[in-house]
Amino acid sequence: MMDYASMQFAPTEVPVEHHSHGGWEPYVDNGGTSLAIAGKDFVIVAADARQSDGYSINSRYDPKAFVLSNQTVIATTGYAADAKRLVEVMEQNAQTYFHKHDRAMGTTAMAQLMSNTLYYKRFFPYYVFPILAGLDKEGNGAVFSYDPVGNMERVVYLACGSASALVQPFLDNQVGGANQRGHEGGFLDRATARKIAIDAFTSATERDIHTGDWLDLFTIDRTGIHREKRELKHD
Amino acid sequence: MFLTRSEYDRGVNTFSPEGRLFQVEYAIEAIKLGSTAIGIRTNEGVILAVEKRVTSPLLVADSIEKILEIDRHVACAMSGLTADSRTMIEHARVEAQNHTFAYEEPIPVESVTQAVCDLALRFGEGADGQESTMSRPFGVALLIAGVDERGPQLYNTDPSGTFWRYEAKAIGAGSEGAQTELQEQYHRDITMGEAEVLALKVLKQVMEEKLSNTNVQLARVTQETGYTIYTKDELQSVISRM
Amino acid sequence: MDPIEIRLPHTIQRPKATPNYGPRTHTTRPIVTGTSVIAFKYKDGIMMAADCLASYGSLARFRNEKRLMAVGETTLLGVSGDMSDFQHMQHTLESILTQEYDMDDGQKLGTKSVYKCISNIMYNRRTKVDPLWNSYVIGGLDNGEKILGYVDLYGTTYQSATIATGFGGHLAQPILRRRVEGREDELSEEEAVQILDECMRVLFYRDARSLNKLRRAKVTAQGVEISEPYMLETNWSFAESITGYGS
Repeated sequence: MMDYASMQFAPTEVPVEHHSHGGWEPYVDNGGTSLAIAGKDFVIVAADARQSDGYSINSRYDPKAFVLSNQTVIATTGYAADAKRLVEVMEQNAQTYFHKHDRAMGTTAMAQLMSNTLYYKRFFPYYVFPILAGLDKEGNGAVFSYDPVGNMERVVYLACGSASALVQPFLDNQVGGANQRGHEGGFLDRATARKIAIDAFTSATERDIHTGDWLDLFTIDRTGIHREKRELKHD
Repeated sequence: MFLTRSEYDRGVNTFSPEGRLFQVEYAIEAIKLGSTAIGIRTNEGVILAVEKRVTSPLLVADSIEKILEIDRHVACAMSGLTADSRTMIEHARVEAQNHTFAYEEPIPVESVTQAVCDLALRFGEGADGQESTMSRPFGVALLIAGVDERGPQLYNTDPSGTFWRYEAKAIGAGSEGAQTELQEQYHRDITMGEAEVLALKVLKQVMEEKLSNTNVQLARVTQETGYTIYTKDELQSVISRM
Repeated sequence: MDPIEIRLPHTIQRPKATPNYGPRTHTTRPIVTGTSVIAFKYKDGIMMAADCLASYGSLARFRNEKRLMAVGETTLLGVSGDMSDFQHMQHTLESILTQEYDMDDGQKLGTKSVYKCISNIMYNRRTKVDPLWNSYVIGGLDNGEKILGYVDLYGTTYQSATIATGFGGHLAQPILRRRVEGREDELSEEEAVQILDECMRVLFYRDARSLNKLRRAKVTAQGVEISEPYMLETNWSFAESITGYGS
């Protein structure tokens, strides 16, 4: 007969996968904002270059938008270390694909690959809110939206990051035509889209302390990727 | 060639002093015993045709399958030890599905071909850390037909893991005669209709039995409809145009 | 035998529960720590400074520690945070440097490579949720290009003309930004030293875990130069007028 009363039981726990011990969290939010606007035969991607940690500015120029091919750009916000690793992984895969298939990876292929890459780390995610933008096979502007674990959606325009709550409604109004009487719909022309992208960042810089310093702006069209670096307020 | 038999025949991965891998060469010889298969590329798509050796009237001809689908846009015809092709086609199919899963796009035809050829030389003891599934080379050659953004393409692979791109190619027992005939008849503006007929005509010339809608298989791969195998009726209508 | 009880100073807190079962745990807090490192670009290269203190909680435990070191011939490394983790990093870097030397190809590890290398080590450790509890400042000249970068226990990296870790991020960084930003290519060595001392003086006045015994270092085309420890002149006469400060 077992004497259960005198037996010592070790505490039993549900086997939950732990990724933090002793209160240390392996994530930080480095702020920053990014956006993309698709046109009929072009796409605009913009991201500020400030890196912050709480109230401190780490660097005024730490770019978070990167060229992945001559028709695709990735813009990241969130945890900078994860974002940089994610971009490295994407760059490596793009290179491998080029060698294996003797052609550059297209934007839609890149989009699916990124979804898989993010989902692969579903239980220890890259804490990143990426935007992938470029031209699709037909030459149309394409913008892909993600959450950190790889949910993907193709959209026409999008804002991500610390000032996304400021910028997204602005784009809904100016690009999507929300709450505008007599809005014609359809795609914006290039000059208007570019102006809206810049205005979005000047305004975001005013109100969001994690956004500012410099703006990296990419225009992607059939002729390739055109990059501009613009100054934002440093305060 | 068989006069040069020596101790270098024994190891499947051993070079002879003349720099030859006999087992690979013998495997290539094995193809020449196989039934004839033909592929013709046109600007609209690719035609594959194979001869079925119905060795007995009691044999159910439909059970012989020598043209198989790899993906919606890629198919392959085979000659040689057709059982060996199962491993290769399985590999090609997995590779094609993986590509679609990873990139949400069909795999390029050349990449499927390359993937199959990568497998072809994985025989013998296997290099350090790399497992090999075959103890000898595959005894089968493939005609891989497919369409992608580079248009319709036809590839030929052999047991040495080499591949070539062809406009028109014949493999198997009747390949020599068939290839000569294809060379004479093929022209760059050939239509799918002409290619169907040419494939069967050439096949007919090299077949021992009389060609009928039961002892040949015909398939096409086009940009619009992908891989399609001809039904008996469709086959009969091509035969009637011969 | 009785278990040995380790007494920690009151400034170092034990985790609320220390279970003797459960998953393997890692470093959950730093023990012996170094405070701020400050660094910036100037005309001839990179300037960096750190004091000589390694604290044990609030105790000024080791007062002659070196927190600046050369990595190879053209790179300077400054560290704050846990000193034992830093020593582990030193060993790792030494073996990498030895490996590179053994290649015998005459190639020297440049600053960018050292920076990437340390960054990868830090990010990999954070990904194992077993971080090296440090902030590193890496400075140097790579093919004539001034490189100044930062990496911490989260694997967070950035490059900037001015960098300050820990308390320095709050106290020294504003001074550095005002005096250095935009003048990286014109600042003379004299002025750079003066800025460095001003920042370190402010830190000594306000950071309770700092020490008035420090080293400064520079990387120029001539290589890495780390000074002997020196003291800063301070003025505490203001204390006379504050009731309860001294007397």
